[in-house]
Amino acid sequence: MSFNIYKVNEELREFMPPEVLELEEKATWGNPKRGVMDLPYAKELLEEHSLCAGCPESDAFRYILASLPNPEDTIIVNSTGCTSLVFPHIALHTVHSLFGNQNAVASGIKRVLEYRFPNKVKDVVVLAGDGATVDIGLDCTLQSFFRQEKITTICYDNEVYANTGGQESGLTVKGHVFKMAPKGKQWDKVPMWQLAIDSGCHYVVRMTVSSPRRVEQAVKKAIYVAREVGPTYIHLYTPCILEIGRNSDEGLEEMKLCDKERFAFFEYMTPQAEEVIKRKKEEGLI
Amino acid sequence: MATLGPYHFSPYPTAIVDGVLTPPPGKGLLYNEIVDEEVAMREAAKEMLTRENPTIFVGPLIIYAWNEEAKEMAKLVREMAEVLNAKIIPMVDYRPKYPKINPEVEINPNHPNLTIWHNNIKVCIFIGVHCHFANIALKIIRAETDCLTIAMCAKMGHEDAMITVRDQHPEDVRKFIEIAKQVKKELGK
Amino acid sequence: MGNNGTYSGVNKSGQKIVSPDYLLFEAPREKVFMTGSEAVKEAVKRASVDASVSYPITPQSEAAHLIGELWVEGYVGVYFRGESEFGVMSEVAGCSMAGARVITTTSGPGTLRAMENFPMWAGSRLPIQLVLMARGVNSPLSIQPDNLEISFLLDTGVMIWHAENAQELFDMILAGFVVAEKTDVHVPIITAIDGFFISHTRESIMIPPEDIALPPYNPYMSPTPIIDAEIAPGRYIKDPFVMKSNYISYATHASWQWEVRAAIERSRPYAKHYLRGLVEEYGDPEAELVFVASGTAASQAKEATRMLLDEGIKAKVVKVKSIRPFPHQELLEATKNAKYIMVPEFNVVGWLEREVRAAFYGKSNATIIGTPRVAGGMTMPPEIIYKDALKILGKEVSYVL
Repeated sequence: MSFNIYKVNEELREFMPPEVLELEEKATWGNPKRGVMDLPYAKELLEEHSLCAGCPESDAFRYILASLPNPEDTIIVNSTGCTSLVFPHIALHTVHSLFGNQNAVASGIKRVLEYRFPNKVKDVVVLAGDGATVDIGLDCTLQSFFRQEKITTICYDNEVYANTGGQESGLTVKGHVFKMAPKGKQWDKVPMWQLAIDSGCHYVVRMTVSSPRRVEQAVKKAIYVAREVGPTYIHLYTPCILEIGRNSDEGLEEMKLCDKERFAFFEYMTPQAEEVIKRKKEEGLI
Repeated sequence: MATLGPYHFSPYPTAIVDGVLTPPPGKGLLYNEIVDEEVAMREAAKEMLTRENPTIFVGPLIIYAWNEEAKEMAKLVREMAEVLNAKIIPMVDYRPKYPKINPEVEINPNHPNLTIWHNNIKVCIFIGVHCHFANIALKIIRAETDCLTIAMCAKMGHEDAMITVRDQHPEDVRKFIEIAKQVKKELGK
Repeated sequence: MGNNGTYSGVNKSGQKIVSPDYLLFEAPREKVFMTGSEAVKEAVKRASVDASVSYPITPQSEAAHLIGELWVEGYVGVYFRGESEFGVMSEVAGCSMAGARVITTTSGPGTLRAMENFPMWAGSRLPIQLVLMARGVNSPLSIQPDNLEISFLLDTGVMIWHAENAQELFDMILAGFVVAEKTDVHVPIITAIDGFFISHTRESIMIPPEDIALPPYNPYMSPTPIIDAEIAPGRYIKDPFVMKSNYISYATHASWQWEVRAAIERSRPYAKHYLRGLVEEYGDPEAELVFVASGTAASQAKEATRMLLDEGIKAKVVKVKSIRPFPHQELLEATKNAKYIMVPEFNVVGWLEREVRAAFYGKSNATIIGTPRVAGGMTMPPEIIYKDALKILGKEVSYVL
């Protein structure tokens, strides 16, 4: 059973730091109905993180990790950016490769895990920033959708290259001034969710991270559809409060504002995806 | 030479540069010499029983019950610690922990020197650690500390440790424990 | 079980599993007449390969699509066409991280397209095999044989073997998996050939039966955890940032890089065994004129040696089979009687001459001359080597070309 890799041998228990034992005993392994409601009580899969205080990305991480239906059989692939700083602390097998190749690496992993474990569920989820998804990684990301790879791609859109100091990205809104766009961005925000639909994703969501329950729903739907049908895409607004000149405690407010405009909740599903979601709802898993 | 450190400002030159390779099957390494496994085991036991603050760094391959052999090895590591009067400090995983590990209770391959300096460890055994991370740690330890390292490897062994044996499975570890008991008696401990 | 486990049973394609020594040295072989690309297919067929990803670029497209045919025939588990060489090499990295034995191919501009991946493969300890069919690198464009690209790969932290002909390529592909997957090695291996000369010309090669195959890859022999959520520790990231805190020693990154180079060094005894030596000598052992060459240049040098012998001049070829690890000791030993060392190459920069000079500095009194050097698809007729040799020896050329 997969979660034996978290089970500490009897004879060595007394030497283990408490967080290791808690991970074994109090995390919600082996229960697909787990979700954000467990957050106050269960051991989280994220041990700690070094992101800025109040960073909405850290909220997104906690909700997503709490919502994975089968975390003990989930691989997450990351790409360089602020999210990479969080990844070493996630209690799963994860991959950090180069920049922009996350969907390519994920394709290879998914196909081989399906081949090595044909009778097991192995979910592969990509978690990357906007630069990695839409600029340097657009080729590999869209191509993985064309090929109908059974992976879930989650884009953390903060509309800027935050980790490198605040440069304009493809997902920056037209007119916003960032580094490398001192006169403001000259062209429109790339509608990545639309590109995902046109490239063959079966379930696409655009939303902010203001509502944990909503994030949980989206993650579960996306993963269940990816298991059976094809690629799924979740586009999350996780603003970089530093780069947009907000305070640490204003992240939620910023997201709620955007809930009413450019990040209004948008959901798309193909008929095959709809069938899967309906079935999972009936099974009580969504 | 895979001699005792501290060797140099940086982990270079590594043992390989001086022509030391992993030992052939059935043998071990004692510094840069290929020796019989028993000879390496005896020396290892002697060092653990005579140097300060002997510690066993046990890695994820033995900490977690991911297969049957891991469970057996966990019992044997416990026994080994008792025979050698050694402390057990786990390497629970390989991640770079930010901002800092607690060197009192854990060791990490990205900064093993912190644990060794904090606890003033002069001799240690690495067991149950994936080879790549053991090698990373051993190179840093040899460069920056005067700790004597012993690597008990389930695969081909580690040339950057001062003493290493290879292909260690439960029956080999049992053999080592027996040798250690003998050496302990000879030393009158 | 150790490293010498018993070999029994069948692999996923139904072929009988035999020991690498049996497959490479003992199995009865049959003569076939085929191109280098077809030889790649035959080798992969007997190698219990789990995955391959392809992308078209001349001259490796044929070998790549033939691997696809093996997938249809049931000899390769996972196969698809990627979107570019950069994408392919990342996909192949993902396959290897998840525990597959994986092979891929590329050439010239494709190698450079994929370049960022090679040190990533090495640092991630992924034993991926890349069959490199060397061709000209832009600009200007040439699809013809030219192995300049090998010089770009020398410091990426991968093993590099250079095959002289299709027979050697066949055997190197099989041996490559075996050596690369040793736990104390476990770094990528590039098996290189000089483009069209080998990929598209036919030669007689001896191959073992097709119902036997190498033992499959055991991912849990990897020196790092495999990404499959089945092996401890559960909290594991493949290649994190190792530079983010003042308490993490930057020496970690240095140590990691040195570990990769150490892994290449550790491959020496295995490579020596499975390649039957990192170098191969041909010609008069006492010769004072020695050609040090790799790949097709070695073939041409052997021809020139025969021509020189007709003139009564003793010459010898020391063929370098392994570029990384570089066979310093073997070369010094093989050239100890040499007065002149000629290094003929199919590239303009003379990367092999550079390696030889670095290895021989302070250790050999021989005069090293990097000639002849051709590139961009030029052939290297043995007559040219012969002419250069005579000039160096101060002898008169006895006939006009």
